[in-house]
Amino acid sequence: MPSDPQTLAHGIAASARDFDLCLDLAAAILLAPLASAAAITLFLRRRGGAAALISTAAAAAVAAGALWLAFAGERFTGSKEWLRLGDFAVSIGFKYDGLAALMLSVVGVVGLCVHVFSLGYMAEDASKARYFGGLSVFMFSMIGIVLADNLFMMFIFWELVGFSSYVLINHWHERPAASAAAKKAFIVNRVGDFGFLLGILMCYGLQGTVNLGELAQKAAAGHLAYSRAIPLLLFCGAVGKSAQLPLQVWLPDAMEGPTPVSALIHAATMVAAGIYMLCRIHVLMVPCALEVILWVGTLTALYAALCAVTQSDIKKVLAYSTLSQLGYMVAAFGLGSLDGKASGVGAAMFHLTTHAFFKGLLFLAAGSVIHGCHHEQDIFRMGGLRRRMPLTFATFTIGVAAIIGMPFLAGFYSKDAILYLAFENNGAVFAVLAFTVALTAFYMVRVWKIAFLGEARGEAAAHAHEGGPALGWPLAVLAALSVVGGYRSLYPRSFEEVWSLVPEASGAAQGIILATSVAALLLGAGAALGLYRSAEAESAEDALRRRAPGVFGALVMLKESFDAAYGYYVAKIQQRFAMVLNFLDIVGLAGVVVRGAAGVAEMGGLGARALHTGRLSTYVYWFLGGVVVLWVLAAGIL
Amino acid sequence: MTQTLDSYVMLSALLFAIGFFGVLLRRNTLVIYMSLELMLVASTLALVAFSHFNDTIDGDVFVFFILTVAAAEVAVGLAIIVALFRMRQTVLVNQLDALKH
Repeated sequence: MPSDPQTLAHGIAASARDFDLCLDLAAAILLAPLASAAAITLFLRRRGGAAALISTAAAAAVAAGALWLAFAGERFTGSKEWLRLGDFAVSIGFKYDGLAALMLSVVGVVGLCVHVFSLGYMAEDASKARYFGGLSVFMFSMIGIVLADNLFMMFIFWELVGFSSYVLINHWHERPAASAAAKKAFIVNRVGDFGFLLGILMCYGLQGTVNLGELAQKAAAGHLAYSRAIPLLLFCGAVGKSAQLPLQVWLPDAMEGPTPVSALIHAATMVAAGIYMLCRIHVLMVPCALEVILWVGTLTALYAALCAVTQSDIKKVLAYSTLSQLGYMVAAFGLGSLDGKASGVGAAMFHLTTHAFFKGLLFLAAGSVIHGCHHEQDIFRMGGLRRRMPLTFATFTIGVAAIIGMPFLAGFYSKDAILYLAFENNGAVFAVLAFTVALTAFYMVRVWKIAFLGEARGEAAAHAHEGGPALGWPLAVLAALSVVGGYRSLYPRSFEEVWSLVPEASGAAQGIILATSVAALLLGAGAALGLYRSAEAESAEDALRRRAPGVFGALVMLKESFDAAYGYYVAKIQQRFAMVLNFLDIVGLAGVVVRGAAGVAEMGGLGARALHTGRLSTYVYWFLGGVVVLWVLAAGIL
Repeated sequence: MTQTLDSYVMLSALLFAIGFFGVLLRRNTLVIYMSLELMLVASTLALVAFSHFNDTIDGDVFVFFILTVAAAEVAVGLAIIVALFRMRQTVLVNQLDALKH
């Protein structure tokens, strides 16, 4: 490690000037949102309009820069030492490769769409400046994660996205539910991040470096120490941030935040950071760690899809669907390699990309619905929005079609890549994931049908209206991306590094996958259309609850089981343990140690004070006593 | 009549004891002060007696110094007592207890 700050740059066939330019541009992309956040916090706290414009301008600059870098096709790394403690150095650096290029572009494009949407959605909000400041801080931290070239830097920005997520969930902090949800998100993430930090420390201790480039070089040379604990501990971070079982409880509650925040942070980008991090460190993976990751992802996908079926809040359905899709990505990563390629990384990143587009779209469309219906979120009080909000209806329909894997839309290709990988590597996982495809189709079509078709079932829905161009344009852009996002040849060439890893089915396997996914899609969508066919006749009750109360009740119980278990743990175990500790503290520390020491000093003081009478004769007695003692000592009697 | 060293030392000890108990028991500052002087004089007497019986003048030299210091001390001490009386209207030590806790 060089002792003086030094910049390293290398890559494919290009002059040093281009590298410097790219490096400067990457730094500018990272710092633009930070500058915006600083300007808003320092100068524009009371000027919401200016804050919104600055923040959106920074997001636009990020998107433009990210796309320019992606199309320029350069790859570069650069790092600067930031902190040195003896032999241990922490550096701040960029590692811009195909993976980072893809993620940066996704963050930039979806981020810009959400900023523009927020201009319309948050126009009336009283604390707009704080909201846009929070968005800028989020963009800064997310870009930091994407570009980080070592795990320590990634961890710093990892915590920063946690902070910005907390701030934005808590935006309407006067609502008790929002403030509770923000705390829950923060604390649950802390549990995962603790494992992540341990993993980083262990990686440093065992492998000698946390630099991603050096780890990859070591792996290529076969010098990596074998460890199951490192990948599993690092995976803890992903479990928290990407809300996998058993730390998934924070994400549905996080829907208390403004809807554009849910779209950007809790659907498209931040929660996907866990998957991105796994892909960054995939050289550290060992088979049994992958096995654990695979099953965590698969069970999350299934569990969340089951939970989504009973939800009546439009955002909660989308939140559980996000959990389920994140489970798909984690499972895809856990499926590992196929034909010697890291196909898991390819499939996970492909699904991450298409999911960012269609889930961002679905959330923004839901935001448009909520905006149009004056903050009504219950789908059973909507209905008939098709005629009143045609653009939202059209884009939401595209989003639904994309997420359920309608052929030729984005979700179809990425989901089939994962299914194919599962089909080749693990039959049981394939069955679970295929069943989840049917469930996904069921709950998404359910929401779509209840909210948009039929007749209006509430006052707000009857007077719903479109929200204007700021709400419309982002929907259109994301809808277009949800349609074409599955065609990998349309992307810039610099993503080829990731796309070449995506598994491609061929021959008989292709037919089986296609048949399975289309059959699951038809089954799920058909069941939803059949079950909810008379939506207009049923006012505010779930048809599933009416026809099969047992199934409905079981699903609700399944959804609540985790919160109940955590509630039980906190109230009955942790709280009691805390009471025992408190008792020990009061009796032991405060009682014996603190009061004891004070008591001894006080007794001494009391005695000493008694000597001090103010009477001359007393002092003469003491004088006499002193002389006697001195004489005794001098005479050597004692 | 010949006097032995013992009787001088006994007298000196007696005077010292009277002075000591005077300091210890009396309440009037002036009397305490006189008792202090008595103790000084008792020690002086012992020194003179030792000097005489040992045929040296070491003790006599000490006596000169002690008398000089005692004279100076009386000047200062009486001044303090007068100043004290002016301020507090009393010289009784049991009433002079401002240093009590």
